[in-house]
Amino acid sequence: MVLALTLREPAHLGWLLLLPLLFWLALPPRPRRQRWTAHLAQWQAAHAALRRRPPRLSGLRLLLLAAAAVAAVVAGAGPAWRSAAGPDRLVVLLDASASMAARTPSGDRAFDLVTARLHAAFAALPPHVDVTLLRCGGPRLRRHGASARHLHDVGSPAGALDVDLAAIAAGVAAPATVVWALTDGQGQAALPAVGALTVVAAPGANAAVLDVRTVDRWPLPQLTVAASVVAFAAAPLEVELHARGAVGAVPPQRATLPPGEVTQLTLELERDPAGGWLDLALVAPADVLPLDDVWRAALPPLPAPRIAVLADGEAGPFAAVAAQALAAEVRGTVVTAVAGAEVGLLLVDGGVAPVVPGRVRALCFGSRLDPSVEVEPWLEPRVADWDRQSALTAGLDLSELRVAAALRGILPAGEPFLWAEAAGGRVPLAVVVDGDAAASVHFAFRLQDSNLPLLAAFPQLLRRAFVRCHGRAAQLQVATPPAAPGEQDLRQPAAGPDRPLPPFRAADVDLAAWCLVGGLLALAARAFVR
Amino acid sequence: MKRRPLPLPTVPEAFPAAFRTLLHDLLARGGRVRGRRVDPQRARRAALSQSGTFVGHRPYVRGDDPRRIDWAACARTGDLFVKLFEEEQRRTVTLVLDLSASLLVGTPPRALAARRLAAVVGGLALRHLDGVAVVAPGAGASSLVNFAGAGDVEALLHHLDGLPVADAAPAAALQLVLQRGMSSQLHWISDFAAPERFELPLAALRRRGASITGWLPSLPEDQEVPRLGYVRLRDPETGAEFGAVVDAALTAAMRRELELLRRRQDRLFAQSGCLLVRWPAPAEHEFQRGPWQEILTWCSR
Repeated sequence: MVLALTLREPAHLGWLLLLPLLFWLALPPRPRRQRWTAHLAQWQAAHAALRRRPPRLSGLRLLLLAAAAVAAVVAGAGPAWRSAAGPDRLVVLLDASASMAARTPSGDRAFDLVTARLHAAFAALPPHVDVTLLRCGGPRLRRHGASARHLHDVGSPAGALDVDLAAIAAGVAAPATVVWALTDGQGQAALPAVGALTVVAAPGANAAVLDVRTVDRWPLPQLTVAASVVAFAAAPLEVELHARGAVGAVPPQRATLPPGEVTQLTLELERDPAGGWLDLALVAPADVLPLDDVWRAALPPLPAPRIAVLADGEAGPFAAVAAQALAAEVRGTVVTAVAGAEVGLLLVDGGVAPVVPGRVRALCFGSRLDPSVEVEPWLEPRVADWDRQSALTAGLDLSELRVAAALRGILPAGEPFLWAEAAGGRVPLAVVVDGDAAASVHFAFRLQDSNLPLLAAFPQLLRRAFVRCHGRAAQLQVATPPAAPGEQDLRQPAAGPDRPLPPFRAADVDLAAWCLVGGLLALAARAFVR
Repeated sequence: MKRRPLPLPTVPEAFPAAFRTLLHDLLARGGRVRGRRVDPQRARRAALSQSGTFVGHRPYVRGDDPRRIDWAACARTGDLFVKLFEEEQRRTVTLVLDLSASLLVGTPPRALAARRLAAVVGGLALRHLDGVAVVAPGAGASSLVNFAGAGDVEALLHHLDGLPVADAAPAAALQLVLQRGMSSQLHWISDFAAPERFELPLAALRRRGASITGWLPSLPEDQEVPRLGYVRLRDPETGAEFGAVVDAALTAAMRRELELLRRRQDRLFAQSGCLLVRWPAPAEHEFQRGPWQEILTWCSR
């Protein structure tokens, strides 16, 4: 048995600093003298005649008063006897990875079973046991105290178990700390060797959507979806891939998935112009984990853009022709540029245009944004390279691009994707400026000063510039998190025998009441001690 | 609260040269210790007739009556001896000196005044009677010492100077006096701080016919109360402590208690048929004859 005095509120011991004040208050009045007397009996008789008590300065009386004060302070600090050795802290490692959503033979999810076990265990746990809950898998969470006991906001199974429960348990375990790991054994090389252990395995066949790649032809309605699916079962598994939501009706894609091999299933979809949710569902018989069978994305609405053209008097017909071609491709219309009118894209060729970069959807060719900025003509700049990774120019061939004249200093600050050779290195010939909800693309040359309109890549560049100028409004938003690695194959999880929780240390015996009683006894004794 | 212990006061040198000069002056100026009226007559008759029961010799000391020298013994031994007769016991004075620690208190210490007072009274007895017996209960081997003849004054002073501080009950003094034999005249020097303890010894001595004079060297502390404030009082005899906050009310009450003590002391001696002399003790270095003259006056009554 180990006995230890614990003070839960040690800061209250600071009141002991008042003891010198108490001592000072107990001192008798000055002057204080000592002297011998042959008339001690007469002094005592005179004192008694006045019905006086002896002065307060008495060593024992002061000691008793100080003892009472110390007892009160210690009582305020929360003294307690730790009556027996044993753990008084519980750390729960809760596996909340995606595989915990698998259904057990009883029909319940593994996660629901372990949470029920936790509720039952916490209900029987002594209240003084300090509980910490760590959610492992998906978003990591830490809950402590009452929040942990009530499993407050621990969420639902998701993500991969990217931690080693055995290592965590070995690191946390201590003589006063018990580790309790609750897992299905999925994605673990070995189960924790220390502490309590609860394994709720749900073995069975599982088909899963690992990845979905999309080819979005926005602003056109065509959408190609290629889903990588896999099945982990004892035998080949018949599956169907369904597409539902804001797309036109399409028959499900049927396939027979060999065990453990990734198969790609492609669906050609045509979405609704108004946009909406697209749901892909992989339907397989005897699938114990339906969580990884779905994929969801938000489809942006298709635009019906109004394309305006601004071209100076010297500009050729290229801008107008380009606008017409773009409108035909995106099913838009070409309108006249009027000040104050809202358009989907402003196509500017030469001249001066008061376009705020990144805030106006604009495609500018050799246009001066600020008339006060001095520009310098640059004759026959040689195109050096273009960005092969940019969404604007990836896959396009701009090697035949020739520029007769460009303007130095005309480009705003932005992300360059086309460069020309210069004496000091490469100089941008085109940049894209991203804003919060829009973007603008700027070229340093006019269309008539280059052969860009004549290149085969020009229509594609126009369409990509249109999409880029719409920013996030043109992007497909995937709502399904990436597939958690190691959470799909449920055939052979790590297994081991359950280990129960050990008995916890008995609750501390609160000594505050005893301290108060002792202090009161000291005060009572002081009242009677002369 | 831990206090530094108050050191017990000590008795300064009781008989400096100035006092000895004063003492010889007082003895020469003729103060007399008067015993009973019959004692001088008996002494004179004994001196003339050499009557009484011969009990032995003692060496001659300067000041002895030459008529009492035993010339026959001188012829035999070559030294001077005086004869001792039993009758002399009735012509001695007994000095009872209180050695208790309570006499160490005071300014000057009451013990200093008591020793000097004993020297004066004893010196007068040696000067005018046959001897003096000093009874100091508690002093061990020195509890009872006899002195005879004027030549023993120096021995008396030396004896008084060497007496220790000792606490003894008044009854012990009674036993010593009875052991030695009753004198007609007894001088008891004390502070009589607890008068009830002296009641039985005084009554016993009075029943045996002793004439008792109580000497109480009085000090300013016997009437005055310490100034206001907290004072921690200690009894030198018992070591008991008592703390008190002195204010006007306590000062008045303490004065009443001191007055009550004086009355009890007076009543004790009055009821015993004895005389109590309150002698204002002079300062330690005050050797004018005035304060000491009062002792001669009281002794000659």
